[in-house]
Amino acid sequence: MRFDTVIIGGGLSGLVCGIRLQKSGKNCAIISAGQSAMHFSSGTFDLLGRMPDGSVVENPLEAIDRLDAGHPYSIIGKEKVARYATEAPDFLAGCGITVKGDAQSNSWRITPTGERKPAWLTLGDFTPLTSKNEKIGTKALIVNILGYLDFNTKFLADSFEKQGTVCRIASIRLEEMERLRKNPSEMRSTNIARVMDRDNIWEKAASQVKEMIKDEDVVVLPAVFGLKNAETVETMRKAIGIKTVFVATMPPSVPGIRTQMTLKAEFERAGGRFFIGDSVIEADFNEDNTVKSVATYNFGDIRVYADDFVLATGSFFSKGLIATPEKIYEPVFGIDLNYEEKRDGWFDRNFWNRQNYISFGAKVSEKLNTYVDGRPVENLYAIGSLLGGSNTLYEGCGGGVAIISALAAADEILHK
Amino acid sequence: MGTGVRDNEFDVIIVGGGITGAGTARDCALRGLKVLLIERHDLATGATGRNHGLLHSGARYAVTDRESAEECIKENMILRKIARHCVEETEGLFLTLPEDDLAYQAKFVESCQAAGINAEIIDPKEALRMEPSANPDIIGAVKVPDGAVDPFRLTSANVIDAKLHGAKVMVYSEVTSLIKEGDTIKGVETFNHITKQKEKYYAPVTVNAGGIWGQHIAELAGAKINMFPAKGALLIFGHRVNNVVLNRCRKPANADILVPGDTICLIGTTSSRVPFEEVDNMYVTPDEVDVLLQEGEKLAPSLASTRILRAYAGVRPLVATDDDPSGRNISRGIVLLDHETRDGIKGFISITGGKLMTYRLMAEWATDLVCRKLNSSETCVTMHTPLPGSEKENIDEISQKTWSKPGATHKATVGRHGARAVSIGLNDEYDASLVCECEEVSVGEVRYAVNELDVHNLVDLRRRTRVGMGTCQGELCACRAAGMLADAHKCTDRAKNDLKSFVNERWKGMYPICWGDTLRESEYSQWIYSGVCGLESEGCETDKAE
Amino acid sequence: MKMQEKNISENNFEQCIKCTVCTVYCPVVPVNPLYPGPKQAGPDGERLRLKKGLFFDNTLKYCLNCKRCEVACPSGVRIADIIQSARIKYTTEPPKLRDMILASTDFMGSVTTKVAPVANFALGLKPTKAVMDAVLKVDKHRTFPKYASKTFESWYKKNVKAFQESFNHHVSFFHGCYVNYNYPQLGKDLISVMNALGYGVHLLEKEKCCGTALISNCMIDQAKKNAVNNLESIRKSVYERQMPVIGTSSSCNFTIRDEYPHLLGIDNSDVRDYIELATRFIYRLVEEKKVKMVFKKDYKAKIAYHTPCHMERLGWGIFSTEILRMIPGVELTVLDSNCCGIAGTYGFKKENYEVSQAIGKPLFDQIARLKPDFVACDCETCKWQIEMSTEKEVKNPISILAEALDLIATSEANK
Repeated sequence: MRFDTVIIGGGLSGLVCGIRLQKSGKNCAIISAGQSAMHFSSGTFDLLGRMPDGSVVENPLEAIDRLDAGHPYSIIGKEKVARYATEAPDFLAGCGITVKGDAQSNSWRITPTGERKPAWLTLGDFTPLTSKNEKIGTKALIVNILGYLDFNTKFLADSFEKQGTVCRIASIRLEEMERLRKNPSEMRSTNIARVMDRDNIWEKAASQVKEMIKDEDVVVLPAVFGLKNAETVETMRKAIGIKTVFVATMPPSVPGIRTQMTLKAEFERAGGRFFIGDSVIEADFNEDNTVKSVATYNFGDIRVYADDFVLATGSFFSKGLIATPEKIYEPVFGIDLNYEEKRDGWFDRNFWNRQNYISFGAKVSEKLNTYVDGRPVENLYAIGSLLGGSNTLYEGCGGGVAIISALAAADEILHK
Repeated sequence: MGTGVRDNEFDVIIVGGGITGAGTARDCALRGLKVLLIERHDLATGATGRNHGLLHSGARYAVTDRESAEECIKENMILRKIARHCVEETEGLFLTLPEDDLAYQAKFVESCQAAGINAEIIDPKEALRMEPSANPDIIGAVKVPDGAVDPFRLTSANVIDAKLHGAKVMVYSEVTSLIKEGDTIKGVETFNHITKQKEKYYAPVTVNAGGIWGQHIAELAGAKINMFPAKGALLIFGHRVNNVVLNRCRKPANADILVPGDTICLIGTTSSRVPFEEVDNMYVTPDEVDVLLQEGEKLAPSLASTRILRAYAGVRPLVATDDDPSGRNISRGIVLLDHETRDGIKGFISITGGKLMTYRLMAEWATDLVCRKLNSSETCVTMHTPLPGSEKENIDEISQKTWSKPGATHKATVGRHGARAVSIGLNDEYDASLVCECEEVSVGEVRYAVNELDVHNLVDLRRRTRVGMGTCQGELCACRAAGMLADAHKCTDRAKNDLKSFVNERWKGMYPICWGDTLRESEYSQWIYSGVCGLESEGCETDKAE
Repeated sequence: MKMQEKNISENNFEQCIKCTVCTVYCPVVPVNPLYPGPKQAGPDGERLRLKKGLFFDNTLKYCLNCKRCEVACPSGVRIADIIQSARIKYTTEPPKLRDMILASTDFMGSVTTKVAPVANFALGLKPTKAVMDAVLKVDKHRTFPKYASKTFESWYKKNVKAFQESFNHHVSFFHGCYVNYNYPQLGKDLISVMNALGYGVHLLEKEKCCGTALISNCMIDQAKKNAVNNLESIRKSVYERQMPVIGTSSSCNFTIRDEYPHLLGIDNSDVRDYIELATRFIYRLVEEKKVKMVFKKDYKAKIAYHTPCHMERLGWGIFSTEILRMIPGVELTVLDSNCCGIAGTYGFKKENYEVSQAIGKPLFDQIARLKPDFVACDCETCKWQIEMSTEKEVKNPISILAEALDLIATSEANK
């Protein structure tokens, strides 16, 4: 089977790269071993929230200059990063995903436990804050769905009250939800969302919320609406009638899953082929050290050939990187990695401190080409969280690295 | 007896909420004494909760220490009756590997029989049928009446019974000094870590049941006990590989016991001396992990491909024998010190040494001495009085009688609380909702633990219910449980800091083994807590004795 | 030292990171609250069951075994295998008469085809349906697939067997119970297509039901017997006659390739690569330019392709859709991947009827919106379900190929 480009990994980075290439006329396939980290989304994409020295970043594009040479942004180059960051909202809009945000000025998101974190692009479900201490309103009505444990109303109320918002906590009870409750493990975000989606139960939820409002000027709800359709969220806002702030829940993330599904559908609509539940098990190389083809578990002896290959397999969670007691390696191509050899150097004993293993990953050239045994592989690119050189969690740059490296690699392939 | 008229006057004060202190509190309370039990952290935080959870048959000590062996087998038989819901009657095997000396087996069996332990040599093939995970290369096998015991449950059940018989239990209260008048200890001064208050309590007798930390309590009284802290590291595997306890049939050495316990199994231990100053800060080193894995695989080869959940270490409270002035000889048995006869300090006794298995006997000895000092003639009844929860027979029967359609959650709850599970509201669908999916801990069970079992934080909750003890080590359940604690304690800041401390405490057991799926799990936890939730270290207790 | 190089268990449930993604894609969870969901029933439950068997929960029978959880799992956990294995290991109740009847597809087929007109008539009668509904708990809304009056095997032996040896290349055909007893035409179509491509088609020495329905109804001893028998015949075909084995049913293929080793514990590793769907076999031949397909000039069809769950798990939908796309005049839409709800015998059971229809609803709705000429699908039970629940006819891609190919010209091209 032959494609122009084969992308391994169907998460944010792989999909963005695939959509860009497919829409530019390349015939692409994405091979994805299971669903991606988009299922655990925070509801925003971050570009750069904090410098490696811990200082808070207000203008990510300006701060990129000060990053180390090994950082993916530095490798891609400031100008390109700025260009891709600026065009990202339009790119996503072209895929049917509404985002708000500015690469030159971070906004803030409210986390499920009520913290405030810098954000770059915010999904339409959520309300970005312009400053860390912005009040969401004078009086807030925080509404949960009775028995849903992954939306922590107390933590949220506490954090809003610190900004001077008076909070009242209430819950709604829906007959249709009671069925779910029969199963002790199923009062979880996506199951609630699926019930809400069916026969427009969310309308009932909205009208119950509306009836509860006394003198409040803002309603806070868990983001468990509109698994299939983002419009549900907007319609709910209108039905409730006053400012409604949706807050991300503990995973799985309903807006994140919807975004993933939307991107996948867009890729397929453009003509791309998405193979889910399959994994690449081995690759063979041409004499010039380029990749010739890969074999997958499901395709067996029918090998997959392409001019270019993009590795978007993510880090440890998605098995883009594998750690044994002795070493860390990339399992498909055995590409060169940046990591510390001694296991003691992988972690910090305090969970809340910066963990080094998060910054381990692929060594790449300025064109995002990978290396095997020190030799560059000219048609194999690494993108997304597989890339080394940045502590995406600590710096708050995972979303940006995923989207920008995907666009950069796609352009390298297109301009070959 | 009830001699105390005021709230802060008791017949006996017991310092230390490990199994020894809890057992002593129960025994004293059952004999009608007015009891105060004081613990500086939570129940079962020291050596009690940091061992194999092995219901020793005594076989392991038969060759080297007959007295301990005899005590073990007697207590083993008693615990099977009085602590049914804490004990699993799994049986045990002592395996001889090709590299071991088969001649040891004969000596071993002979010593067991002399100690009253029913040790039976069986065909290695029969042993493999009994426990298919055992190393197929074994050349010898002996069957012994080993089992598994859950130390958290056992401690909790003792405390519940003590409270049912009038005892007052104060956790997170630290003894800062002993109130001494002349040569008599009259009581204790404490600092309550929750209320931040200093308090005083009085009793004619104070029992030092502080385990390794008992050395410090004795010092406060002006007595000297020489403790030899011996660190033992263990590994917990993700699920049960074996259902029968596996031991190496050789002189006790590293990693020669593999015990199934609740949903997991664990291999241990290593043994190394540590300075007394370090007993509050135990880390498992990579070398210890390596040794445990290498030796463990010899007992059960499938451990090589089984996920490790965490690594942890405990400190054995070994005591120097009093008759050895060099302080080098260690007593392995129970040490009961009457400081009046030993040091001229009245109203103060220490109970130490011993082991989890013999806690009841230690409590009996200590209580006998307390009663002598108080001129009470009450006798011990703990050898035949079931602990709360253990009155009835098995999980299935209790579940069937209590619920119309008992599911996994009901059965897991009964497994943890025995007959007392019937008082946990699980009929209401909201209460049946799961907090911890790995271990099937429901909202109702968490509420019960918070209301009835002296739970002050998430780590306490874990010890009472197994919240966060499963495969994901608290990844999702911790946040849910933190929300419930915020409700119960009406303090979100405390609950949030508690959540951070809990996640960090779980991490402490994971980083020594952070490769493979453990690293994947850790990365996912990082995404959730540092990423999605955006929590940071501020307010987190970074190193806390568990 | 290579410690813990492979720190995963045999059935790999420990690779579960508890991310709950599987639950998101389970078709049963949103419609049947009695089902604990794949995470609870699978890896979470497995740990508890390893502790004590009494943690086995009978509600595991609500699992469709559609494997969508496995396709979604980022950790590669074989969730449905864990659930089905637990059912096999711990279910103590013997299968009900109804389940035995539904599961014994070849026994029922061999008896019924002999009296096909009567049987079809009787099975279609209202009173019969009422009795089956009340006594056997086979839902009355269900229409039994019609039985053919002559089995495919007997037709084959009488009509085409003789000249199959005349071809240069050869394959064996695992026809399955459906082709044999209910719809021999599909088998005939396969033979037309393969013959046109220059391949002689042979039957296995002894074919038994693949066992899909036996496994899902916990009739494991019978399933194992069938598996051993089938593998013996497959080995003879592969090793003695160098003929790979092809089929037209995605479920039969999936069961033989993956469920035999994973659920029945029967090793098939030496022949697994030689068993595949006809569309994949043909795709490879076309790609390697070993055969040519010549299509009718006037063939036109608007087709909606439904990917059966087991096809999704096999990851082979692409081969069927690529074959269909090769036909000029075909306008193909691949339907959103969604379980149809029938899951073999599951949907026939009275207690599952409503759940089954609720699961399939999004699929039926999408078909209704698209208004294709017909639906294409590689699974016979999906075909029944879609035909019972929509107005559209469902055809196997091989039958579509048989219609669209200019068989004579193709034969000439491949001589």
